[in-house]
Amino acid sequence: MPPDNGQYLFAAYTVAGVIYLGYALRLMLRARRASARR
Amino acid sequence: MTADPAQSVIRRGIVLTVLALIGVAVVMVMALKFTPVEANQGLAQKIFYVHVPTATVALWIAVPATGIASILYLWLHDPRLDRFAAASAEVAVVFCLVVLTTGPIWGKPIWGTWWTWDGRLTLTLFLFFLLLGYHALRGSVRDPLERGRFSAVLGIMGMALVPFIHLSVYLWRGLHPKPVILKPSAPSLPWEMLRTLLTGFGVFILLYVGFVTLRYGLQLAQDRKEEADAA
Repeated sequence: MPPDNGQYLFAAYTVAGVIYLGYALRLMLRARRASARR
Repeated sequence: MTADPAQSVIRRGIVLTVLALIGVAVVMVMALKFTPVEANQGLAQKIFYVHVPTATVALWIAVPATGIASILYLWLHDPRLDRFAAASAEVAVVFCLVVLTTGPIWGKPIWGTWWTWDGRLTLTLFLFFLLLGYHALRGSVRDPLERGRFSAVLGIMGMALVPFIHLSVYLWRGLHPKPVILKPSAPSLPWEMLRTLLTGFGVFILLYVGFVTLRYGLQLAQDRKEEADAA
């Protein structure tokens, strides 16, 4: 019977998702500002 | 009216990034629904499908690309190479951050500790700090030529660390497992796991390309604005 440790999987996927999504949003907001400045 | 090259690079970067983020969600669903649970490690083993491709792209694509662009910049003095190196190094920081957070979350249930000063972990942390130093340096030098030259040296140093990080699991005894894919013999994974892992490699390579394209386009837009202001 595999150990019950799904909370670590949930935590890792959440952290990775937040970092990647956060960085993508940061770049896209900068892109929007750059396009507004033109 | 002529199209602004920076804006077209930015648009391309946004499309690639959005596609890659959808891909990341697909990889997570594949790992959760269509990949078997490992008998000894349980569900925590599925962290592997994000952690390993992220680490592979960071160490074998992002950091070497920064180093190679830095070497070429020192030789050719082409500002595009410096811009690319800076973009790739910033994305490497993001990927390393994911590696350094998902790794300990995986380590806790399997090793019984969040962190250990194992060769692989310590050198990866050192690389992360070196990349942060790279950006701190870029932010503190105003002259673009000096900035490019100094940061190129750090970019090359980052690349020089990669073989040591890869070989650290063979050189020093530690808790971090040896590679299951990048090794002399055939990959030791069942097909269901290998399929999800290979999809992960493709998706995270696309994410790297999307991020770098977008970041490069933003830097290009900023450089052009500064040139226009100076003229």
